[in-house]
Amino acid sequence: MLTEAEIEIVLLSLQVAAWAVTISLVPGVLLGWLLARWESPLRAVLQGAVMLPLVLPPVVTGYLLLWLFGVSGPLGGAWESITGGRIAYTTGACVIAAAVVGFPLMVEGIRLSVIGVDPRLEMVSRSLGRKKLSTFLRVTLPLSLPGVLAGAVLSFARALGEFGATIVLAGNVEGETRTIPVAVYTLLNQPGAEAGVWRLVAISVAISMGALLAASWLARRQRRRAGEH
Amino acid sequence: MSIEARIHLALRGFTLDVKFESAGPVVGVFGPSGSGKTTLLHCVAGLIKPKDAAIAVNTRTVCRLPGGTWTPPERRKLAIVTQDPLLFPHLSTRGNLTYAPGAGDALESDSGWKIIDVLRLKPLLERNPANLSGGEKQRVALGRALLSKPEMLLLDEPTSSLDAELAREVLALLLEVKRELKVPMLFVTHKAGELMALADDCVVLDAGKLVAQGPPVNVLAKPRAIGVANLVGVDNLLRLKVLRHDEAGGVTILDLGGSELAAPLTDAEPGKTISVGIYADEVMLCLEKPAGLSARNALPCRVVQVDELGHEVLVKVRTGSTELLSRITPAAAAELELHEDKPAVAVIKTSACHLLG
Repeated sequence: MLTEAEIEIVLLSLQVAAWAVTISLVPGVLLGWLLARWESPLRAVLQGAVMLPLVLPPVVTGYLLLWLFGVSGPLGGAWESITGGRIAYTTGACVIAAAVVGFPLMVEGIRLSVIGVDPRLEMVSRSLGRKKLSTFLRVTLPLSLPGVLAGAVLSFARALGEFGATIVLAGNVEGETRTIPVAVYTLLNQPGAEAGVWRLVAISVAISMGALLAASWLARRQRRRAGEH
Repeated sequence: MSIEARIHLALRGFTLDVKFESAGPVVGVFGPSGSGKTTLLHCVAGLIKPKDAAIAVNTRTVCRLPGGTWTPPERRKLAIVTQDPLLFPHLSTRGNLTYAPGAGDALESDSGWKIIDVLRLKPLLERNPANLSGGEKQRVALGRALLSKPEMLLLDEPTSSLDAELAREVLALLLEVKRELKVPMLFVTHKAGELMALADDCVVLDAGKLVAQGPPVNVLAKPRAIGVANLVGVDNLLRLKVLRHDEAGGVTILDLGGSELAAPLTDAEPGKTISVGIYADEVMLCLEKPAGLSARNALPCRVVQVDELGHEVLVKVRTGSTELLSRITPAAAAELELHEDKPAVAVIKTSACHLLG
């Protein structure tokens, strides 16, 4: 069984990943829709920028985030002058790191499912008197919902496994920023902690596998849904 | 109801350039595929934003560009019904019908029930759209459009994806919509029969240009472009060289390769080749050249083939190097004793030779 400390680590990880998905959901849907429907040469540039965290070394992403959110960084400094608190090396930093690294997976999932929605349905909706936003909320979003959920599940799984950016931006503070991967890394440096490592590894594999299965089930549903008309 | 449109729109490899006004109430847009019919409809609906256009429906300007107004599609009150019914797959039939703002209330009103009644939608209300047949889906699509209370219905080949029987059924419904609900329509089709049945006025497009406008019976009787003639089913489509003009006589003489055809006066230069369409019904056959004839063409010919098709006989004759089809009754064929290689005379009025450009 898991020790109390390990349970705390798992719960913290789940919490961080859930918050990461929550704060990326609305921007993810907007960007996914934009990348699917926006007809402009700038779209490729935007697509590249959104996908960047997927290919950048996570440590590099973490460094850029630390520069942004550090106490002397533009966003971190502004935050401190408003609230008096800091972002770096807090649970909030874990959430930001996890959100940024999981974001491309979410946007890509949403983009693909929006592309699968017949644009003529949107055309009919407009001609029936529904504005662009209303059309999006009533037609495009419901029809791409399974794809949106699949994207969310994938980015949740990615957030759970986030290590490189997290260790740079959030550090390794027990109970605050020590998520599963950070804990595994810490335990690896301690002699005789193999059993604990294996328990966390098992939990990690189980959650990730579950997320992948859920995502592929949702993606199948998406194809069925989009193929109905 | 009225519509006024002036549109100039250049797309990749295609230019739509039309100007017309019509009092309707049902305006047909007729032409071969690729002639710009659907593009025209999308401009009126506001789904395409041309750079240079002025469109008014019932004197309400919905588009005057460049510089003026542009009403987005959702505020034009012009509901579109396309070839595919395009029902929203995540909504029930009722959800589809009440999709437009205010359509839920409209459905409960007297006029709403009249729409349901005319389109026979009541038995479909609680069914899942995925389980409806093609014709039923199109009825729901029509109901959904009508319940949005449009000032005009925009129909884009609404029967084209249906088999012949269902197409007739939907056409009958559209006639009832016109008669009972009195909804004006802009109606895109490439089927001459539908145009005749439904449209009061008709604009004919070919290759992005307006080639004719008028009551359907007139524009169909005098096709003005080769693509249109093909659709209408003009039996004789000929490419003939201009020999000379006889301006006093009001005719242009065309080369049939050994004999000559007197067509209406055209401004095509001698030596140029032009297209001419002649309905087989308008080619008379005689055994001898008639005397004192007003028709300008009495062409000596030989019978090439005689086909009896039920209540009509299609006779192919050759004059010069040109073959012509003539449609006559079985009685006439029997009296003339037509058979292969028999000499005859084909009589064609000049006005029956339709210049197709």
